[in-house]
Amino acid sequence: MEQVTREIFWNVGGVRLIVYLLALIPVFLFIYGLWEKIKLWRIGKKENRYDQVWKRIKSTLYNGILQVRNLEKAFPGTFHVLIFWGFIILFIGTVIIFLQEDITLPIFNFNFLQGNFYLWYSLILDLFGVLAIIGVLLALYRRFFLRPESLENKSEDFLSLYWFLLVLLTGFSNEGLRIAATNPDFERWSFAGWQIASGIKSLGMDLNSILTLHRINWWIHLLLAFGFIGYISYSKLLHIISSPLNIFFRSFEPIGLIKPIPDLENQETFGISKLEEFTWKDLLDTDACTKCGRCQDNCPAWTSSKPLSPKKVILDLKAHLLEKGKLLLQKKELSPEKNLIGEVILEDELWACTTCGACMRFCPVTIEHIPKIVEMRRNLVLMQSKFPPELNLFFKNLENNYNPWTIGFATRADWAKDLKVKLFSQDKDIEYLYFVGCSGSYDERVKKVSKALVNIFNQANLNFGILGQEEFCCGDSARRIGNEYLAQILIQQNIETFKKYNIKKVIVSCPHGYNTFKNEYPLFGYEIEVIHHSELISDLIKKGKLNLNKKLDQIVTYHDSCYLGRYNQIYDPPRRILKSLSLNLKEMELSKYKGFCCGAGGGRMWMEEKLGKRINQMRIEQAQDTGAKIVATACPFCLTMLEDGIKEKEIKNIQALDLSELVELSLQK
Amino acid sequence: MNIVVCLKQVPDTETKIILNPDSTGILTEGIKWVMNPYDEYAVEEGLKIKEKFGGKVTIVSMGPDRSIEAIRTALAMGADEGVLLNDPALEGSDSYATALVLSKAVSQMEYDIILTGKQAVDLDCSQVYAGLAEFLNLPYVSVVVGLELFPDQKKAIAKRETEGGEKELIEVSLPAIFACQKDLNIPRYTSLPGIMKAKKKEIKKLGLADLCLNPEHVGKAGSKLKTGKYFLPPQRKAGIKIEGEIPEATAKLVKLLREEAKII
Amino acid sequence: MPGIWIITEHKEGRFKKITYELLSQARKFKEKIGEEVCALLLGSNIESLANQLGPYGADKVYLLEDEILKNYTNESYTQVIAGLAKFNSPSILLGGATAQGKDLLPRVATRLGTGLATDCINIDLDEKNFLNITRPIYAGKLLIEATIPQSRPQMAMLRPNVVEILPQDGSKKAEIIKSKPDLKKEDLKSFLKEILKGESKEIDVTEAKIIVSGGRAMKDKENFKILEDLANAFGEGTAVGASRAAVDSGFALHDIQVGQTGKVVNPTLYIACGISGAIQHLAGMSTSKYIVAINKDPDAPIFQKADYGIVGDLFEVVPLLTREVKKLRAEG
Repeated sequence: MEQVTREIFWNVGGVRLIVYLLALIPVFLFIYGLWEKIKLWRIGKKENRYDQVWKRIKSTLYNGILQVRNLEKAFPGTFHVLIFWGFIILFIGTVIIFLQEDITLPIFNFNFLQGNFYLWYSLILDLFGVLAIIGVLLALYRRFFLRPESLENKSEDFLSLYWFLLVLLTGFSNEGLRIAATNPDFERWSFAGWQIASGIKSLGMDLNSILTLHRINWWIHLLLAFGFIGYISYSKLLHIISSPLNIFFRSFEPIGLIKPIPDLENQETFGISKLEEFTWKDLLDTDACTKCGRCQDNCPAWTSSKPLSPKKVILDLKAHLLEKGKLLLQKKELSPEKNLIGEVILEDELWACTTCGACMRFCPVTIEHIPKIVEMRRNLVLMQSKFPPELNLFFKNLENNYNPWTIGFATRADWAKDLKVKLFSQDKDIEYLYFVGCSGSYDERVKKVSKALVNIFNQANLNFGILGQEEFCCGDSARRIGNEYLAQILIQQNIETFKKYNIKKVIVSCPHGYNTFKNEYPLFGYEIEVIHHSELISDLIKKGKLNLNKKLDQIVTYHDSCYLGRYNQIYDPPRRILKSLSLNLKEMELSKYKGFCCGAGGGRMWMEEKLGKRINQMRIEQAQDTGAKIVATACPFCLTMLEDGIKEKEIKNIQALDLSELVELSLQK
Repeated sequence: MNIVVCLKQVPDTETKIILNPDSTGILTEGIKWVMNPYDEYAVEEGLKIKEKFGGKVTIVSMGPDRSIEAIRTALAMGADEGVLLNDPALEGSDSYATALVLSKAVSQMEYDIILTGKQAVDLDCSQVYAGLAEFLNLPYVSVVVGLELFPDQKKAIAKRETEGGEKELIEVSLPAIFACQKDLNIPRYTSLPGIMKAKKKEIKKLGLADLCLNPEHVGKAGSKLKTGKYFLPPQRKAGIKIEGEIPEATAKLVKLLREEAKII
Repeated sequence: MPGIWIITEHKEGRFKKITYELLSQARKFKEKIGEEVCALLLGSNIESLANQLGPYGADKVYLLEDEILKNYTNESYTQVIAGLAKFNSPSILLGGATAQGKDLLPRVATRLGTGLATDCINIDLDEKNFLNITRPIYAGKLLIEATIPQSRPQMAMLRPNVVEILPQDGSKKAEIIKSKPDLKKEDLKSFLKEILKGESKEIDVTEAKIIVSGGRAMKDKENFKILEDLANAFGEGTAVGASRAAVDSGFALHDIQVGQTGKVVNPTLYIACGISGAIQHLAGMSTSKYIVAINKDPDAPIFQKADYGIVGDLFEVVPLLTREVKKLRAEG
């Protein structure tokens, strides 16, 4: 029986040495290019991403190998998977040959690439080769026929695809020619090659022509393949290395977490205003980007025509890294000096961000957009005192009255004057702190939510109290805007108060407060159990502590608050509440982790929206599309923005209500 | 140019003002103390002048120890030195005595221009700058919304806000005093490095002896205006929704505006 | 010699209302302490004005004319008034808490080494027949009483629109004492270069005494005209404002936006038409002395802050209001 195997270097002669010598070139280019990149990344400051190694490995398997997040967008995710696995399998296939030819055979005289192993090997390689070709063709189709807005078509974009396609095609033609010439029956297992071989044979070429063609094709394929390897480090193909690397070094912190400025008192500079002030991970981020555009597609600023595109921010940083980084490595300056803020990234871009986290949630390679933006904002605010002028009064109000409006702090608890509410300064035995928040204390519309909640608490006989005048703004907006100093003052004061009353549990009706207390106060030195009012109410309903008498028979849609949903994965409790109120829940298309921002986050609540479309109007349109009569919210910012949207558009048939208000309606007889 | 800015620390305008039990003043607990908002324009103007013509900005303030914070805020904005005029005897000074004390301090300095706010938002007297000018024998312009300096010609042209939207351009020789009004400029927000640096800048303290004054010149003893009882204004009545059909209600409203509010 | 002196204010050949108010106040004092009322009239070519003061209560008019005094400056006026006061030693010297008064009287008081009370909303005579004044502090959150027990003259600035003008007595004539002040132009360090009239008739919202403001319910840029009409009906010193919602909808320009991110205003009267009263708006006008709210929605938060409210369609109410105001003002 003929040997079920294939001769390596068949028909091309004793080129082994030449090939290996030649191979040094792409390998060298690959390593050299990669090393140049690594040097550039290392311009950045230190950052510890070397902990939790096992978790990192698992994460890389999850998003880097299984590509779970990538597949969230089905079509491009799928064809990328085809290309990805095609590449990997074919690469492994080549490595197997190398193993046999240069290690097992000469050293151990062990030939494994034969028999059944070889048959399966051929089949799998052919299969994945075909799948890869399909993948590339689908990719080209998307890029050149569907032309989605998020893809620009630069030369490196189609060059990468065409090149890989050619490598695959010449690989198959190679196989086809070989099979056509050698004609072993077992090569049916290489089904694609077999078909090509049949095609070639039907052309009626003589053996010599086939052999010659094969030799030529073999060299073309080799050069193309080597060239492809060499091209990796100098093109977007670098993502083959940089993306999984980026996933490995990803942050496991909650989305959008911004670290406090350590040792604030003794720093000389604040925030980031120069390339080299980023960390190495920030810089790696720029090279991990594959320009897929999902961050941009899901960015509320971009879709409402603001100048901000998260993709552009990352790519502009990448260009800046190339430009300035190279010079920095040579100890030279960039001349003429280019300002990071103002020239590379425009101020308008930085201020347009609502920190909704969509960019970070959708990025298949876990790039961290938000911390970079906030660090640059920090520089603008703390070093340059440059920020939208309406924030001047906002800061002053926080400084003098611990709330964002020009209202005396002494009146913070006035909303609760006539209600059954305990004050920590007067009562000793209170289990839960209800942190009302600035909106809940001062904004007429949101006061209704606070009052509804108090009603619910009292119905359930919850032992709660408020801080009243001792409650200061949680600090979220100030932190997001970049005024870390002011935020720290507020936070430290709140922590003092929490310590004074030994507060362990806090209920909030605002996701921004929730996020800050849960994920950021510990970084300032105080851990506390935080419960969002939707969680609490859902729990109370489950335990039967609330008499939900009235059935509210209405179509409702639920607007996921970014800081509750994407930031803290609280999606279900609000929905459970709505179901238990017998409301007919119709989800918006952009809900749960895809939730579309109301526009108020990132401190934007306090800034004028001058450019583009109004984000809140876009969201209310999305709510209307569900046919809902009520859009339910769990956040005072969202409530305000959506109500504004309703008023601005003069819509009559939908109203915005907080969950607590809906529950209160149901508690009525 | 040597720029002197006189400022005062006052309660924040949103702070709840509560009468003390014997109606002789206000309770000071729970008050947020800030730099008088009008003085911020003065500090900012001083800094702008320094940026344009060079020189230094000196802050002078008369007040209790806590006033140092207001001086520090000005230093954080960029002023160079601070002087606190502080002595128990100074307490209770009216505008006349305050102007006298300030003039004693300022006359010990070199100055080309003096800036203040047009009034302090606690006592709303709006007199000190004029008194200061009188004691120093300097010209002054009040309610300044625009200022152009010509230091080499030792003169300035100030835009003064009068009434009914009118403004006057007043030419005045330097040195002179300018009492700043809102919209003269936009006071800069203190940068964090500025705040940190200000913590280390020295603030001189001057007492009666340093100012060559005797107790009978200052405080309650040196005041010409004697304050008596403090009391609450008549309470703002709860708002009312005017009943009736629109024409009726409108007529009622106009009547109320004339008779109660005395507006028409 | 004793005397109740007042400093007159005039413009373009007419006395300002405060002059008559001061004279009325001085007359009240005269009834109690019997000293004569003297009016100080400074300026250039203003002799004809002097005769108008007698009927309103002036016993004497010190008429000081000079080319230098044609335009008010604190320097020249202080010199003249302080000199005269030093020479004659009146018991009381009053002025208006006006732009001129606030600029002038403090310097005069310091030069005379006497006490001065700003912005008095009430001036009485106590049991010793000394001035007992009441004035607001902390932006009107508190009131204080004050006296000037020792130094003379006792000086005070009267707030405009507080004292009712007593009826004229045409038969009364004032003794007019003319003199030329001893002023030399070279000695003066300040002078008026130019008067800048307001660009348009509209004054800035931050300066207006009465503001009529429109919200989203205005529906259109053109509809702001009815607010202008109402503002004009109140006379001078009025302006039209807008809420952020109106500005965002393109009904008004940002420079009249009232609110936290717009302008903070402090008028005597704020009429909010079709404004719901969101917290950011309230932050810009809540220190208004009187707030009137006109809104279709009875639950609108603005009604919590308004002194007077009408629940109704602003397009009905505002024109009616304009008519009523005009009617009442015409009656005088």
